[in-house]
Amino acid sequence: MPLARSLSVTSLSGLDDWDEEFDREDAVLFEIAWEVANKVGGIYTVIQTKARLTCEEWGENYFLVGPYMESNVRTQVELIEPCNAALRRTIDKMNSSGCKVYFGRWLIEGSPYVVLLDVGFTAWSLDRWKSELWEKCNIGVPWFDREANDAVLFGFLTAWLLGEYAAQCDEPPHIVAHFHEWLAGLGLVLCRQRQLPVSTIFTTHATLLGRYLCAGNVDFYNNLAEFNVDKEAGDRQIYHRYCLERAACRCAHVFTTVSQITAIEAEHLLKRKPDIVTPNGLNVKKFSAMHEFQNLHAQSKARIQEFVRGHFYGHLDFNLDKTVFLFIAGRYEFSNKGADIFLEALARLNYLLRVNHSEVTVIAFFIMPARTNNFNVETLKGQAVRKQLWDTAQSVKERFGKKLYESLLVGQLPDVSKMLDKEDFTMMKRAIFATQRQCQPPVCTHNMLEDSSDPILNCIRRIGLFNSAQDRVKVIFHPEFLSSTSPLLPMDYEEFVRGCHLGVFPSYYEPWGYTPAECTVMGIPSISTNLSGFGCFMEEHIADPSAYGIYILDRRYRSVDESCNQLTSFLFQFCQQSRRQRIIQRNRTERLSDLLDWRYLGRYYVSARHLALAKAYPDTYIYEPQEPSSAAGFRYPRPASVPPSPAHSLHSSPHHSEAEDEEEPYDEDLEAEKDRVNIRQPYNLPNRNKNQTVGLPEKN
Amino acid sequence: MAETQAFVTLATTDAYSMGCIVVGKSLRRHGTSRKIVVMVSPNVSRSARLALEDIFDEVFVVDVLDSKDKAHLAWLGRPELGVTFTKLHCWTLTQYSKCVFLDADTLVLCNVDELFEYEELSAAPDPGWPDCFNTGVFVFRPSLNTHTQILEHAAQHGSFDGGDQGLLNTFFNDWAVKDIRKHLPFVYNLTASAVYTYLPAFQQYGHHAKIVHFLGGTKPWHLPYDPQAANESSFRDYSKNFEQFINLWWVEYYSQRQTRAKMEDNNEEYKRLHSLQSAQQFVPPQTHHSPPQSQKKSIEAQHTEQTPLQDLSLDSLTISSSKKPEETNILFDALSAVETEEALVVSPSSEHTEPEADEDSAGATGEAAAAEAEQEDLQHRLMWEAGHIDYMGKDAFDNIKKKLDLFLD
Repeated sequence: MPLARSLSVTSLSGLDDWDEEFDREDAVLFEIAWEVANKVGGIYTVIQTKARLTCEEWGENYFLVGPYMESNVRTQVELIEPCNAALRRTIDKMNSSGCKVYFGRWLIEGSPYVVLLDVGFTAWSLDRWKSELWEKCNIGVPWFDREANDAVLFGFLTAWLLGEYAAQCDEPPHIVAHFHEWLAGLGLVLCRQRQLPVSTIFTTHATLLGRYLCAGNVDFYNNLAEFNVDKEAGDRQIYHRYCLERAACRCAHVFTTVSQITAIEAEHLLKRKPDIVTPNGLNVKKFSAMHEFQNLHAQSKARIQEFVRGHFYGHLDFNLDKTVFLFIAGRYEFSNKGADIFLEALARLNYLLRVNHSEVTVIAFFIMPARTNNFNVETLKGQAVRKQLWDTAQSVKERFGKKLYESLLVGQLPDVSKMLDKEDFTMMKRAIFATQRQCQPPVCTHNMLEDSSDPILNCIRRIGLFNSAQDRVKVIFHPEFLSSTSPLLPMDYEEFVRGCHLGVFPSYYEPWGYTPAECTVMGIPSISTNLSGFGCFMEEHIADPSAYGIYILDRRYRSVDESCNQLTSFLFQFCQQSRRQRIIQRNRTERLSDLLDWRYLGRYYVSARHLALAKAYPDTYIYEPQEPSSAAGFRYPRPASVPPSPAHSLHSSPHHSEAEDEEEPYDEDLEAEKDRVNIRQPYNLPNRNKNQTVGLPEKN
Repeated sequence: MAETQAFVTLATTDAYSMGCIVVGKSLRRHGTSRKIVVMVSPNVSRSARLALEDIFDEVFVVDVLDSKDKAHLAWLGRPELGVTFTKLHCWTLTQYSKCVFLDADTLVLCNVDELFEYEELSAAPDPGWPDCFNTGVFVFRPSLNTHTQILEHAAQHGSFDGGDQGLLNTFFNDWAVKDIRKHLPFVYNLTASAVYTYLPAFQQYGHHAKIVHFLGGTKPWHLPYDPQAANESSFRDYSKNFEQFINLWWVEYYSQRQTRAKMEDNNEEYKRLHSLQSAQQFVPPQTHHSPPQSQKKSIEAQHTEQTPLQDLSLDSLTISSSKKPEETNILFDALSAVETEEALVVSPSSEHTEPEADEDSAGATGEAAAAEAEQEDLQHRLMWEAGHIDYMGKDAFDNIKKKLDLFLD
């Protein structure tokens, strides 16, 4: 289900005019990843969402290569005969030589072709292939590392496939092979070692060592240039994997990664600077109705409010219309995801809101899966009490309506004193008594298996946010992925995000960051950092991103305490916005969707393939890198001391506040003009092949 | 005790050695009173052999026998089974009077020592063609004579399926009709195919299974083991009823964790042993150089007692300039002993042997150097595969990079 957004009159101009950037002639593209039709992580999402665009560009000459997994094939792949004659001969040859190779269509948008290799079936070749790997590259693989063993088998099978395909072609082919991550990277090394006619690209979505170092409480970014990478990998017993990754990186014609921050990481940990940054995109579907996303926001928000009514029964002493919903979501990595700094900022925000006597209440949701044994009884009871109150109100309303009807039938005005009888009052009193509560609303919705050692709960205990009446910041920890069938909060993840006001992702380690990107496409503002790929990308493409609801926290050049203060400031500013200002900001956020569409970001992949072809086949292809003009259509951000335009200082007078709203009309044309000024336009890719530049000097 | 009997299994790859580990451990778990031995082919890694040595009474290295019968194997769809001829070496284990062979892809569920009551050749029917016996489990008597006959039979008639099963079924071609007592009950070789072809029988008799055989291209070590997901997982070649056996296999496999510490100790011991062997390999070349020196020593010994010490000191100095101190000490001791013997033997006719010594010396030096380099490289790779990588030294990535640069443009 692709994320949906509405059609905007101010969509970035020029994107729809994009067409083929260079003549691929007879080139064929293979994309190789362990995650092809095999969902084990985020790379699956990248490849799956990108497939439609790649199919449109390469058509019948695009083949994804992955492992054969019976359960995946049964649900995701339609097995067919290859239509490409050379590939058919290749697969037949391999199958008659002791392999099991399958061909089919992956049943996703774009319906790309897949070539699936049965790795387990060739396990008997593992030792022979390890011998060859040792002989050619001096890399060994421990016998007990099953994942690395799979990487060896997959790598040799992939190289076999590509070599056989090249041999089966009637004319010398131009093959582009794009390898994702170390699990597929050995195939690349073997292609180069065997001098196959293949132009190779290696993409790391996050370095192996980087994730380990960040998880190990090492001061990662400040020490990035000083790591002895061989020693660090060896000490953590991932040296052989690290060698496979670095070998692929070194051998590739073109090396790419997903963001500027991972480019820096790769340069230090893999000792090669990426040639091109290839950000991750999304498939964005346009709504037929304008601003439909705002309606969806209102609907989803109402459902969250219902949950809140149940969760805070007996303590519902705040105005839901003046409540702001924040959330953080993702894998449970307490410090890498920035949950630690978020909780600290919430404590400081609570203090600010209290001393300013703010009417705003903040509810912060933590959606991070952890081990639990069931729902918290108190939490379920809350929803039950809310439902009971609703039923009571409906019952009283029904009886009242009936009496009103009967009274009118006999031609009399109703006697107000008789419309509610004694029984009704008793029922309502009993319902109200049921809402009395001795304990605070629970912080956690489930019973945690490791309650006493859970980092989030321990941090909450330390900062003292227990959902008490005087606190303006409430916390709800939901240690499970959201589900539309949940008895507690029956919403799927997308619905929940749409109902929130702000996503908070102050990540310390986030190679790309799909969650803030998804927020943007849904028109929900978000906080990212300059240590996440998404944050780097937005900072580079938008002047004054916070005006567009993209707050970028500086965790790279500031200390933890300074970053926390900055985060607190972002949150406080956001809480000061009026409803109208939030609506305007969401409009601006949603207009950034085109920036994140694969239709735009896919160009970087086109560029990478073109560069690879030029390096491998210099007689046929030429690549002229064209640096984006830094002056054209781009303005430097305003100083940090100037607040974003949607925000303004607090006014205690309600009348003055309303008057302030009137002074900021929403003008579509003016907004479009601002977009053109603030958002960097895409650059043009080189558009020539070698054959067309005979008379020009060679520049590559 | 006059006659020793043994269970035998075989590993031709590191992956199959995982299976052997489970075979060995499951036999031990159920208290077999017989020996358990494993045959490994030379390409099985040192680390895998060490793991096997922890479990088995004996580990025999045997040469690979490959039928190279690609046509027949293609019909079967299992080209990798050509190496199963290696199994035929089990008839050479004549130190045992009777043996039971178990394929590496079997799992023993209870004590099965009663199999030794059967005679050669006893086996269970193959589910695909019940008049053929399945060679995953069989009883045999080791005999060099039988071994020779089987190999001759293979040379003359080959194997109708390209693997060991086709060969042994034609060699013991009267199994189907002659003596019913040589037909093992099916529960000694329970295969997955039986489960989906005759499910009611599995329901009736399956709980009596004694040995499970994971027949087919997919082996337990190819399948993921996740206790919590056991109820949800699906297997390509196995039905749902067989899942419990897969999980049992993994439980047995992972119970080996306790022996990992032993493996590391064995590695340390292996290092020292290898170091000593390397030192000893220097002895033969040096020996051939000794005749001239020993002659001098013999003559000078007659005059003064100081002279021999001086000569020894000179040899020591020469050696120490090219070798590490530890190896020098070991080498010096060995060399000294050999020189003493040489002096006694050679002195009467020293002049006549000098030219021959030089020639032998040159050839031996080159040969020893090549052998040593090869052995060192193999040992180096095996250290990687055992997880002991010299990442700050010779295995630094810069060295790997140099190797990669050889084939980069």
